[in-house]
Amino acid sequence: MSLSQSFRKEFTTQALVLIPVGIVLNIVVGQLASALKLPIFLDSIGTMLVALLVGPWAGALTGFLGNLIWGLITDPVAAPFALVALIIGLVTGLLARAGLFKRWWQALLSGVIVTLALAPVAILVRAYLFGGVTGSGADFITGYLLKVGQDLFGAVVVTVIASNLVDKVITALLAWGIVKYLPKRFTARYHGAERVVG
Amino acid sequence: MDSELPTLFKPGRSWLHDRYPLTKLTYAGCLVVAGFAAPGLSAWLLLGALTLPLAASAHLARPLLRALLWTLAPLAAALVVVQGLFNPANHTVLLAWGGLALGQEGLAYALTVLGRLANALGGSLLFLYTTHPGRLMTALQQRGLPPGLTYLIISTLQLLPLMRRRARQTWAAQQARGLRTQGSLPTRLRALLPMVVPLVLGALLDTEERALALEGRGFSLPGRRTSLLAEQDTASDRRLRLALLVGAALVVIAGWLR
Repeated sequence: MSLSQSFRKEFTTQALVLIPVGIVLNIVVGQLASALKLPIFLDSIGTMLVALLVGPWAGALTGFLGNLIWGLITDPVAAPFALVALIIGLVTGLLARAGLFKRWWQALLSGVIVTLALAPVAILVRAYLFGGVTGSGADFITGYLLKVGQDLFGAVVVTVIASNLVDKVITALLAWGIVKYLPKRFTARYHGAERVVG
Repeated sequence: MDSELPTLFKPGRSWLHDRYPLTKLTYAGCLVVAGFAAPGLSAWLLLGALTLPLAASAHLARPLLRALLWTLAPLAAALVVVQGLFNPANHTVLLAWGGLALGQEGLAYALTVLGRLANALGGSLLFLYTTHPGRLMTALQQRGLPPGLTYLIISTLQLLPLMRRRARQTWAAQQARGLRTQGSLPTRLRALLPMVVPLVLGALLDTEERALALEGRGFSLPGRRTSLLAEQDTASDRRLRLALLVGAALVVIAGWLR
């Protein structure tokens, strides 16, 4: 199947109604996590859910468009990270397609792989666009590492990986669990779900 | 429905409000590109000499400055600490206090980054303040944006307040059942699942009806859509966009040649 064919095949009406829900879930669950004062973001749960249910392209679009819209209406810092969110959706969808989202330990491993995949772009955006900070709690890690003699780039690398690893693993496990838990009547309408539910 | 859209649009009557939406989008885009291509502190100049006077002409200078301040203050604080105190390139000490020294090189870099961000944010906010999302989507669709993508953007904006309300209801319902949302980290982590799972499952299962309703109205039919509203592009708008693009290109080329 060619790239444009696989692209078009994914964007059915079913997928198009799911994507806005995924975007809004990113925002609302992210705010829930910060209301519970948890040290994780959980703001890519919707992206991963769409990627698992529909596929990599829909996941990528959910992440990209979501960060762009969120950046435009509330937090402009989110907009440049749209590229990072795109990678999260794309890689999650590809991993699910490769059968790496069937068991809980596979979901855990996939969370690690997603972190490694997003790191290069996240590091570049953070280091060069924002001068190493994003105005969040993770800035303390960067500041500390600079203080103990790390250079800026190295400090940002450690900050990005440390703050994303736990978050992406928990998000991947949560998304996997939710897709497993959804009624068959629902998942039967989404082709991607077959590869997760089995 | 319109009043429920969570957007930044501020209704008003001004020259800027009347411009074709894509002209203002071009302005924001060109300003972002020029700000990052221009050297050193010149992004501040773009903000001060272009965006602020334009905002003032539409009586939007005050909200714009307030939004800039609120958004950039935490970033500015973090940048001054991380770059000003700890940037390895710091040699010239401006201020010393205890074991900490504020370096000139790091501070200059912090101000450069902050200027670029302030300029990009200012240009984008001016566009969002003066452009109704409905008018923007109409204009984009006339230019060939697929209707599916239009649906995604508008539907997201409409869904957000509804889902926020549902999150508040879930929160209140689970608390009424005795769920603890405060305390140690394990306690708060345990509260996560009872909050997230009903919210996510409910939201996902709702989509079934929406898909049926859209399909019943020919949503996936091929071909161009006819819009009830039309956005008028004018000759002066076209000239303005050309000038903006040429200006941004000149700044980028000048940045390269340096």
